[in-house]
Amino acid sequence: MQYKEKEIKKGIKIHLIKTEKFKTNLIAVFLSLPITKENVTKNSLLSAVLRRGTQNMPTSMQISQELEEMYGASFDNGIDKTGDNHVLKFYLESINDKYLPQQGENMLKTSIEKLLEIVFNPLTENGKFKEEYVKQEKENIKRIIEGKPDNKARYAFDRCIEEMYKDQPYGLYKYGYIEDLEKIDAKTLYEHYEKIKSECKIDIFVSGSIDEETIKIVEENENIKNLQEREAQYIINKIEEKPEAQEKEVKEEMEVTQGKIVIGLDLHIENEEQRYDALLYNAILGGSANSKMFQEVREKASLAYTAGSSYVRYKNNIFVKCGIEIKNYEKAMKIIRKQLEDMKIGNFTAEDIENAKKGIISTIKSIDDEQDTEITYFFGQELSGNKVSIDEYIEKIQKVSKENIIKIANSITINTIYFLKNIETAKEEQ
Amino acid sequence: MQIIENSKVKEKLYIEKLENGLTIMIIPKKGIQKKYVIWGTNYGSNDSKFVVPGETQKTEVPKGVAHFLEHKMFEQESGVNSLDTLTALGVDANAYTTNDHTAYLFECTENFYPALDELMDYVQHPYFTDENVEKEKGIIGQEIMMYDDYPEWKVYLNALEAMYHEHPVKLDITGTIETISKIDKEILYKCYNTFYNPSNMAMVVCGDFEPEKLLQEIKNRLIDKKANGEIKRIYPEEPENIVKEKIEQKMDVSQPIFVIGIKDKLADTKERVKKHIAIEILLNMILGKSSKLYKELYDEGLLFATPSLDYEYARGYAHILITGQSPEPEKVYEKFKQTVSNMKIDSNEFNRIKKRIYGEYVKEYNDTADIARMFLADFFKEINSFEFLEEITVINEEYVEQVLKDVFNDKKMVISVIKKD
Repeated sequence: MQYKEKEIKKGIKIHLIKTEKFKTNLIAVFLSLPITKENVTKNSLLSAVLRRGTQNMPTSMQISQELEEMYGASFDNGIDKTGDNHVLKFYLESINDKYLPQQGENMLKTSIEKLLEIVFNPLTENGKFKEEYVKQEKENIKRIIEGKPDNKARYAFDRCIEEMYKDQPYGLYKYGYIEDLEKIDAKTLYEHYEKIKSECKIDIFVSGSIDEETIKIVEENENIKNLQEREAQYIINKIEEKPEAQEKEVKEEMEVTQGKIVIGLDLHIENEEQRYDALLYNAILGGSANSKMFQEVREKASLAYTAGSSYVRYKNNIFVKCGIEIKNYEKAMKIIRKQLEDMKIGNFTAEDIENAKKGIISTIKSIDDEQDTEITYFFGQELSGNKVSIDEYIEKIQKVSKENIIKIANSITINTIYFLKNIETAKEEQ
Repeated sequence: MQIIENSKVKEKLYIEKLENGLTIMIIPKKGIQKKYVIWGTNYGSNDSKFVVPGETQKTEVPKGVAHFLEHKMFEQESGVNSLDTLTALGVDANAYTTNDHTAYLFECTENFYPALDELMDYVQHPYFTDENVEKEKGIIGQEIMMYDDYPEWKVYLNALEAMYHEHPVKLDITGTIETISKIDKEILYKCYNTFYNPSNMAMVVCGDFEPEKLLQEIKNRLIDKKANGEIKRIYPEEPENIVKEKIEQKMDVSQPIFVIGIKDKLADTKERVKKHIAIEILLNMILGKSSKLYKELYDEGLLFATPSLDYEYARGYAHILITGQSPEPEKVYEKFKQTVSNMKIDSNEFNRIKKRIYGEYVKEYNDTADIARMFLADFFKEINSFEFLEEITVINEEYVEQVLKDVFNDKKMVISVIKKD
């Protein structure tokens, strides 16, 4: 694998990942900008409208048909919250020419052109988006927002974040808000598109069987030529000091059979290096089947099927999650608190650390076995302005000591305990 | 080892059936860090009535034993859990149970052989006690409750309920709290000894390996066990007709979700792949992303995303499932039926969809995990996965037209809906 990047214009970067491991080429375009209450809903709607049609492929049916002709090239897009940025993501995956039944086609070039066309040359009517598309996609986004509670585990996680980051960018729901959706029309949405197109950070990734030609294909593309240089507006993910928060407990009732606990922890860390310590801490606490959470809550106490934790490095939070029988809430909380305390006093072995390191290193080593994972890895570094090669990354993990992990443990405070429970139980308790 | 090469994806399959009946399949992948191994038994949730080889009486066990066994296999006599041992080696280990097979697997970049030691050790050495069996009931009980909150799972099971009178495919893989309460260690040992015989199992490995050397390493780790005779599996007689056309349940969902099912019959081994492809082509033509019907339903606000289109089959059953979300599932269903009954196969469309499906098959060869899982699952359906790549290039319109007539039958269709009160 060879990685190369080039700024083709100020604020617009192309990243090339040359690899022969795959049957496919994967192209990605990411538009990043700071997430705000004002733009979150517009971005989410925009992402949906852009897949509806372009100047040359005016309907989604036509886009689909053309992609099918390209041996099932697949287009996908979505939005993500990455730290305090909102990122509009567009992907196109197509078969490498070597594996086509007939030779002589340049699938990579066609794929790059199609994707850039979808992102940068949408269908317009009288200087705005097509009314019908905007109207339909508004309904679509509305439905997604309303469907938020459908997946209970995901919902509990989102709700915990909202409670932790009330009135802050990271607390915003990535699909936006119904009250804001109603205010957007085809004209204001198009104005928003034009604005972010000229201001946001643009990253273009091409992964696969590529060569020198590939940069040219991108640089000489009409849609790219039409973009202006920009002072890209986005938030660099740096370590920020967290205010001391008072521990709070939020309980919500819904029709559920199983209760969901999500605990948001604040990590008070001082430098980049501590992020590696935090990764180790998380792995031991709840990152694997060997972890304290899995062992104590699931295996020993038999209280849960899912029990674990995850580290959100952009925000330096760890989220402890488990699904339990509702009546066991107090019991589970007691065990979880005990695990956090045990971490603080160093109640874990050298073997636990070694195992956690092996698990993390194995994951890092296989990053370049998956095209989208690899793109996400490089993009994460791009957003944090901190380039670390896979080898350096492994070295940093290797160096983490028990003292480092205990230091993390003692920097941790509980911010929010969120519990999603059943309605009947609440009545019985009263 | 026998070598089967596929010129489309330029991959090779090394396959060998050992004396004890175990089938080993190796797909070497040069230059990939990830190594993936999966060891499966042709035993799933559907197999709860059978005759143990050498016995004459039939055995019937509670629903959910295959899945229960999967959970319990990790437990070792030493008190150590194999999942912990594997995790400690830095490998990502797991297991799963389906209707027709159970599989144990791990993925790694380092420590492949130490992990293989552990995998092959625990799968060959069950250790069940009254105590450890009781404890697992709590964990599985939580798993069952978790699925109770998944409307996607319920709407699927209900669709099967509407299609099948007798076949156990309609039951929950995990069993219910009630059925698992009846499981004890004797039952687990009996099922283990019946179905975890090498002659009922297959192992697939994908990664950067020398196949012959790897084969030897696997053989070295096998304990001495003879192939047993054929296991007679008993399935109830399943009528061809459906149980009822419509089934509805109330659950807390923001938009109704639905599954349209079409009951079919399992095709003969030699026709299985061809039929599967024909159905995939048809489903894409009818309701795929580029179809007229999808456009129409999208424009009317009846669909917001392409439904997922699946064809599932194993011993004694086969069915099509179309899963989606819609404010008015009934309307989607009616329009679907109309489209099917008026359907003519258009050559351009047919060829375009063929291209698309070809590309999708090729993409399945990107990832070691996908490859290994696919070869294992297909093997238990008596299919060599490469056949899909060959059949898709030769399948013709006449055959697809025939399948349309035979399978897409109004009287075999059901719709399952879950909506709010």
